[in-house]
Amino acid sequence: MLELYTSEPNTFFLKPLIALHEKKAKFTSRWVDTDTLEHFALDHSREVEARLHLEREGPLLDHDGTLISGSWFMLEYIADTLPGEDLQPAAPFDRYRARASAQFLGAQLGSLVPILGCVKYVTPRLTTNRAALDSRLSTVEPVERRNSWLALVNGTYTPQILDTARERLKFPVSRLEKTLTEGPWLAGPRYSIADIDAFAMLRCLPDLTPELVNSRDTPRIADFLARVEARPAVTAALATSRSGKPGQHFVPGVEPSRWG
Amino acid sequence: MTVHLYHWEPNANSGKPMLTLAEKGVVFESHYTDLLKFDQHQPDYLKVNPDGTIPAMVHGSRVLTESTPMMEYVDDEFPGPPLKPADTKERWRMRWWMRFFDSYFAPSLSMIGWAVFVGPAVRQRPREELEAAIARIPLESRRIAWRKAMFNEFSPEELAESRRRVLFCTGILEEHLGRHEWIAGKTFSLGDINGFNLGYALPLSQPDNCNDAKTPHIMEWLRRIYERPATRQTWKLGRTAMAERVKFLERGHA
Repeated sequence: MLELYTSEPNTFFLKPLIALHEKKAKFTSRWVDTDTLEHFALDHSREVEARLHLEREGPLLDHDGTLISGSWFMLEYIADTLPGEDLQPAAPFDRYRARASAQFLGAQLGSLVPILGCVKYVTPRLTTNRAALDSRLSTVEPVERRNSWLALVNGTYTPQILDTARERLKFPVSRLEKTLTEGPWLAGPRYSIADIDAFAMLRCLPDLTPELVNSRDTPRIADFLARVEARPAVTAALATSRSGKPGQHFVPGVEPSRWG
Repeated sequence: MTVHLYHWEPNANSGKPMLTLAEKGVVFESHYTDLLKFDQHQPDYLKVNPDGTIPAMVHGSRVLTESTPMMEYVDDEFPGPPLKPADTKERWRMRWWMRFFDSYFAPSLSMIGWAVFVGPAVRQRPREELEAAIARIPLESRRIAWRKAMFNEFSPEELAESRRRVLFCTGILEEHLGRHEWIAGKTFSLGDINGFNLGYALPLSQPDNCNDAKTPHIMEWLRRIYERPATRQTWKLGRTAMAERVKFLERGHA
């Protein structure tokens, strides 16, 4: 049995959808509405890895009773386990590059993109249903996961915090632009899970930070986004959206570094 | 092709590729890079890794600077006993736990370590020397970390939160090792190498929270890893009292 707990196909939730469609895998979907915190009502207490979601929110893949969590590790799992197109880079050093890229982008884009997306699109939707949100949030553990939602509900992200997030995005964006000068894909000569991982987090940046990611300032990223978006598996993944606007759906994402 | 490894003590991130190479039986050329003397920010080292972080591995024309993906590279590239489970669910669990160690457990533990050990170890030097050292650090995130450590700028709230998380993580790890023999499940793997580098000194640094009575599974797991020949060999490369702490894991020590 292969069942994906999924939501609007954007950021973390988009990654396994693309990989499963690339693999032409047969799977069932279980939709969770993240705006109403439906995912917190699921009981995954039996699995510590699902309970302590490292990205705070995101997809889960139930494969014959084992709950796979962590969107990058889910991509590696899908690549290693399911038949179909080979999505792992072939050479050991290219696999290193894929993992290093995922680690770097997971920490950088994984924390910055969701803040900008949530404040722009999620907070305005959340305010209409405060009592239900408070009730659901009251039992969320660990506490920093609850606090990330409370920050959205309470609107505590100041313009200064958002400016800092935009400023910090320049670093991973410039590194990505530079990496793409070395070749069309992020980890070796062919398309791989490294590209799926990056695409899912980058796709909304031309909307969230048009001054930073655009065809003039970051032509290689713009070209990369267009090339990945044109793949049939990506079209199929995006078509799972119920709202028709997947790029307007976010969850709080990875905790920013506590070192400041 | 010779493997060149730039590393500090067998501890935390430096120890991860050191122990992995030893487990694989890969001979490497060791370049001891003294973190407390800021060797990692010197021009010669920045030619190897412009980010100025350690460890770094050079294998032919390949330069690797992220310690956990570096461990997977060593396992993928070289012959020797496999250090990743053949079962893909175990492999996923190994990777999940390495990220848990790297992104959740280690930052809290290291904040305490930098506040009580790294900061005091460098702080007696003249202020202008420390400021010059900070100015040479390429990455903003590392400049922030070093400034906090050097000038003791950790707030009581930050340190209290780190202590809370270390206690929480220790409990989670104990629960996990109560269910599984090794981090990934039934197989010794990179997950155990990663976790050992993070946690080998927990019984000393957190004696009230990590001990035979409260965390018997962690203690047994650490001792089993300590008894492996590769671990003995690796910790002999340490030059400071930091590496000596591993001897606490001798059976019958306490």
